[in-house]
Amino acid sequence: MAPSENLAPAGRANTGNGGGAPNGVEKQQRCQFNEVVLRNRLTALLVDGNRFCRTIEQGLLRAYGVETLAVDNGRAAVELIASGVKFNLIVIDMLLPILNGLEATRQIRAMGVRCKMLGVTACSYEREREAFLAAGVDVFIEKPLSPEILVPILRELDGQ
Amino acid sequence: MDVVNQLRRQFVDYYTSLHREGFVDDQFTQLQKLQDENSPDFVVEVASLFFEDCEKLINNMARALEQQQRVDFKQVDASVHQLKGSSSSIGAMRVKNVCIAFRSFCEAQNREGCLRCLQQVTHEYSLLKNKLQTLFRLEQQILAVGGSIPVVE
Repeated sequence: MAPSENLAPAGRANTGNGGGAPNGVEKQQRCQFNEVVLRNRLTALLVDGNRFCRTIEQGLLRAYGVETLAVDNGRAAVELIASGVKFNLIVIDMLLPILNGLEATRQIRAMGVRCKMLGVTACSYEREREAFLAAGVDVFIEKPLSPEILVPILRELDGQ
Repeated sequence: MDVVNQLRRQFVDYYTSLHREGFVDDQFTQLQKLQDENSPDFVVEVASLFFEDCEKLINNMARALEQQQRVDFKQVDASVHQLKGSSSSIGAMRVKNVCIAFRSFCEAQNREGCLRCLQQVTHEYSLLKNKLQTLFRLEQQILAVGGSIPVVE
């Protein structure tokens, strides 16, 4: 079976913990995503050249009920934003094909886009962090994008 | 019932050993939580994607490092960077740690160092693949006898 990028349906955070007959521990674990209930419909754009990373990050965002669109290069991200599509959150990698994450971020910011931008990247050198922040991301996150980092950001965007 | 509990105990022990030995970290545990009745095979599917990704990247690195005279270290680094990203995203801690050292050798344009890291990363990837395949087989055995897979913190 070929894995698909659309692995996690949107809105899971707003549903019950599903059927089946899990034991107490399992029920508690599944509810963790449901405990973060977003009052508003949040949308996110994910920009990562690596299909695997897109799958993981999209799965995580969707588990919290964030409607997520993913593209695999910086140019596609810039064109999408330029076409007028709006997002509450942009999650962007630094090393991207066609147009890199630094330049894509600069161009997105130059369009007057002020939404929250997370630079989520495998880069870890201080100079890379400074460059990404200077380009316009609000937060520099060394991969992986984890619930500990994501949840406070989603709550902030949700006005909680 | 006893068979189910035995298998579940075996699963928990094996899973715990993977953490203890540094094969996987908390990120892997987080991914387990994304698996539910809507996506029952999520972890197996992402693991397969990861293995495919790894093999492709390791081959890229090997090809680039084959050049004795003019190694394109930027190309090697780009592949190592990708592998660092995907290994950290699945929680493959030992693979990720080799990538950190690997990047330093790329930066220093040290071909010997890079070749050693390539060997190490290939070894760690193979070990991890075997370990996860064993874990997934245990999961299948539990499900086959009507049990449910424990979620281990």
